[in-house]
This record gives sequence, C-alpha cells and structure tokens, in this order.
Amino acid sequence: MGAMEGMLTGLQTAFSLQSIFFVMIGVFIGTFIGMLPGLGPISAIAVMIPITFGMDPTVALIMMAGVYYGAIFGGSTSSILLNAPGVSGTVATSFDGYPMAQRGEAGKALAIAAIASFVGGTVSVVLLMLLAPMLASVAISFSPAAYFALMLLGLTAISSLSEGSTIKALISAVAGFMVVTVGIDAQSGTQRFTFGNTNLLDGLDFLVIALGLFALAEVCTLILNRKDKSIQNAHKIGSLKLSKQDWKDMTGPMSRHSIIGFILGVLPGAGATIASFISYITEKRISKNPEEFGKGSVKGLAAPETSNNAATSGAFVPLLSLGIPGSGTTAVLLGAFLVLGVQPGPLLMTDQPDIFWGVIVSMYIGNIFLLILNLPLIPYIAKILMVPRPLLISLVVMFSMIGVYAISFNTFDLYMLLLFGVIGFLMRLFSFPAPPFILAFILGGMLEQSFRQSMTISNGSLSIFFQDPIALSILAVAALSLFIPLISKVRKGKKNN
Amino acid sequence: MLKSINSRVSLVLLVIAIVYLIFSYQLPSYAYTEVDADVIPKVLGWLLVFLAILLFFSKDNETEAQRQKRNIPKKEIGMLLGVGALIFIYIFLLEILGFILVSALFIFFCSLFLGYRSHIVNGIVSIAFSAFIYFVFTSLLQISLPSGILPL
Repeated sequence: MGAMEGMLTGLQTAFSLQSIFFVMIGVFIGTFIGMLPGLGPISAIAVMIPITFGMDPTVALIMMAGVYYGAIFGGSTSSILLNAPGVSGTVATSFDGYPMAQRGEAGKALAIAAIASFVGGTVSVVLLMLLAPMLASVAISFSPAAYFALMLLGLTAISSLSEGSTIKALISAVAGFMVVTVGIDAQSGTQRFTFGNTNLLDGLDFLVIALGLFALAEVCTLILNRKDKSIQNAHKIGSLKLSKQDWKDMTGPMSRHSIIGFILGVLPGAGATIASFISYITEKRISKNPEEFGKGSVKGLAAPETSNNAATSGAFVPLLSLGIPGSGTTAVLLGAFLVLGVQPGPLLMTDQPDIFWGVIVSMYIGNIFLLILNLPLIPYIAKILMVPRPLLISLVVMFSMIGVYAISFNTFDLYMLLLFGVIGFLMRLFSFPAPPFILAFILGGMLEQSFRQSMTISNGSLSIFFQDPIALSILAVAALSLFIPLISKVRKGKKNN
Repeated sequence: MLKSINSRVSLVLLVIAIVYLIFSYQLPSYAYTEVDADVIPKVLGWLLVFLAILLFFSKDNETEAQRQKRNIPKKEIGMLLGVGALIFIYIFLLEILGFILVSALFIFFCSLFLGYRSHIVNGIVSIAFSAFIYFVFTSLLQISLPSGILPL
C-alpha cells in the first residue's frame, strides 16, 4: 500500500465518530492531568492504560496519543497561573508566563500559550507525516546489530541530556535494565532472579514500574506540598484578548520553534523539556531586547510553548517508524502500544496503516480540540486546579492501584507498586532521574534480544557491531553523547581555574 | 570520608550490585549458545559496580534546591508513612472486602488523614467515585474487580 492510500485510510479512521469522540476524551484527560502540578504525562498515560483494555487498538492509541500531547498542552496552564509547572516540558513557560500573570494579564498569557502550542503542534504533525514514512522505509533494512545500537543510543542520549549528574542518570538506566532481567528469559527459558516466586516468572509489568516511579512518587511530592496556598489566585484570569502587536511578536518565534522543537523531539533523549529550554535560550539570544525576557515577554512565552508541543509530535517519529522510544514518556506510550498487541516499527506503516496514519491524522483533530479547551473554555477548566489536594491525592493513589490490579488480578503486583513508589520517591530525593530507568526497563528486553541475535549471527564475535556501517556509526554517536558532557565539564573546570 | 551524600549512596549501590552479581553468577549457562541468559546480568552488575565507584569519587554538584528536598520535617515523614500504611491496608483488604467498600473507605480516610475536613463532600465523593469506577470496569470494560462481601 502506498503512502497516499495509507493516508486516506488514516483520514477515514481519524474522522470516524468513534475516533473523534475518543481523541476528545484523550486530550481532555491529558489537559486535566497535565494541569495538576506534580503529575506529568507519564502518570497521565499510565493511569489511562487500564481504560483501554478491551478497546479497539486503533481508537485506544488515538486516545493515548491525545493524552500525551494534551498533557503537555495543559501543563502550561499551571506554569502560568501558579508558577508550578504541571509537567517538566512547561518549566520554561513559567519564566515569562508567570510574570505576565502577576501583572494581571493571565488571560493574555494563557491565550499566547494556547495559540503557540496549537501552531507548534500542528506544524510538527505535518513534518511528522513527511518524515515518519521515510524513516520507516529506511529502517526496514536495519539489522539486529543496528537496532541494538539505536536502543543503546536512546539510553546514552537520555542519560547525558537529563538534568543533573550523568553518572546518576546512567545508574538509573542500569537499574531499570536490571529490573527487567527478572523473570523467565525469553530466549533460553532460564529463570532469572525469581527466587522461586511464581509471581515473578513473567517479570514485572511495566505499568507497575511506570505508576510506581511516576504516579506514586509524584503523589509523595503532592503530599509534602499539599498546603501550598498559591492555588487560591488561580481563578483570576482576566481578558483573553491579544493586541495586534502581540500577534506580530508571536509570529517569528512560532515559525522558528515549530521546526527547532520538532527536530529536538525526533532526536533520541531530547524531548519536550530540552526543546523548550533550548528554544527559550535561542529566542533570548537572538532578541533585540533580551532584558525583557523573564519579565513577561510575549516572545519568551511563545517560544518554549511552540517548541514543547512541536517536540511532542516529533517524538512520535522514532516511536512509530522505528518502534524505539527516545524518552521516558514515549517509552510508556510504547508500553501502551504493546499492551494492546500493536508493535510499532518499520512494518507498522504497511501492515497496519489504519493505526499508523490514524494516530498521526488524529493529532490535527486533537490539536483543534485542545485549542478550544485551552482558549475559550480555559477560565472554567482552570477551576480544576482548585480540587482539594487531599481528595486529589487519594483519588490518584486509588487509580494507580486499580490500573495495576486490572492487568494482573493479583495483589502481589500491588505490593510491588508500593515498593516502586518508595524507590521512585527516594530517587527523587537523591536526584536520580526516573526517565532513564523507565526507558531502560522498556528497551531492556528488546536490547538484550537484539544483542543475542547479533551474537548468534556472528558466532559470538563482537565484531558484528563494527562491520555493519549503520550500527557502527550509531554506536559512535552513542559514545560521543556520553563523552560530550564529560568534555564540557573538563572545559568548564579549566575555565574556573 | 563518608560525609558526602554521593559516597554514602554509592556504597548502597555497590551492595546492590554485589548481591545482584552473586545471583548472576549462579545462573546456569549451557554449552552451544553464544550468549546465554547469564551474560547480560553479569555485564549489568559490573557496570553498576563501575558507576557506583565513579559516583563515589564524583563531586557533589547538587543545587541548593535539590538538597533542600531532603529536609523533610518529621511530621511530614509521618504523613508519608501514614499514607503508605493506608495503601498497605488497602491492598491487604482489597480481595477480602471487595473493591467498592475498600476504595470508598480508603478515599475517605486517606483524605481525612491528609487534612480534608468537609466530611459530607468527602463521603459523597468516596462512595460515588468507587461505585462509578466499579461500574465502568465491570460493565463497560468487562474487567471484573473483586466484589467482596457486598451482594453485587
């Protein structure tokens, strides 16, 4: 089936009443959860996975994608109104969004954020449509060695780009990989680290890890911050109108950062958070009046908001066409695909065009819904922020438990969930980033499989990774991604001396 | 020597890595397979040993905000442990008393414990929410949740 025909199938799928309905539900819930300070897109997706059991996979995935970009879209609201970003991708939004809101122009800030998000989201879906099929047709000829290299690159990139210490991020990744070795080994049937416990034979479900490390750990932070009084100002929004000058100021950043954000989203390890920071810094650097940044600049708000949404769609490129997620969030999304029996990768486009194109085309519809939700309806939706924290905490905990119980019908997994909640909280306390852990957990099985396949092909010689030119060049980039932070550290050290 | 947080954390990690390695070396490996089930765990174990050593000697470059995160008042630690205990009881009773009853009680008492004082709203939300979720899962999604002692 050609790309044109595939796209038509996608249009048909995405514009069916059922899809439109579920994309609406998805973006609404995404906005809702993304808005709540502390709860990020990973929690949003993980909490929603049980709801998709028994649903048609296409519709379910259209909804899950909506939850993801909806969460990034909605995260800006709490950044602007509370200076408490709902998701890390919208931290840069608060730099200029919050000062603007303090000046009494919260409505204007929300409007700019919504429009910039819409433009970034929509432009990058166009780019996604162009790039994903191209990458898929190249990736179809990749050897297991090349896949191994690609996944390794994903892990090294996310570790070197995550906030804080690279060593800690790598430790997170190794720990995630260790946890996934628990259970029966798929290739040889050997039981590993099960200690005779039958509940561990199948390994730990990724939902246990995702909900524990993210939702429950985030709940701990919510508990500690439950008396935060800043929510009380959230209802003062003011006019949503933009002046001609505002529009003029926004055009430049929106067009630039749709592209920058998209590219950063495609690259492994980067994603919405890094894209938004890079866009903010770039915009400040090229601005004629950089002193306005941080004091409520229109450009300083439009740039990261365009970029983080563009990056979200960009992140779908490697996910859909290679089947390899580049970030923690897309790793959980991959988990959602696998739960529904859909294997993303180069064959998805040709084998299941309704899913491949349906998910992509539905993003246009989702973005329009998001614009409506976040522009005319925002004064009403922002009231969600007023939900009493204790009630919210109890509900999130209950939701996480039911999510895990509904896949295993077993209380053992619930105790494991509690354990990983504690681990996730401790990781936060000691500044170990959780995204490399979940990415390694999701990729670990595939990584080991492709490694062992390659080694079997080569009769046990590691040279296979150096003979395949694609694998070799990707491995070189992976090595480079680890050394760049090291080199920059050394250079910084020299400067300080 | 063990004053820095990094060195203390790295020792804990080292212990984890060694325990993991001990079990990895007990994994059986068979002839005629190029890479058996024990290879990756061994690599991971040694990698963690290596990273833990690196962490031990690396300078503590946490920001003040990150350090502040660990300053949790005693009362708040009690809160966290309390919620943890409530979750534990929830799991323990889930299959005995059934989903609706345990969830409603959990939402009510957990919110109360965290300082929510509108008892009527709390009661309504906890019962309505649990019943609603039960209905959605069992009727719409065809996933059966434990009905427990309630005659459902």
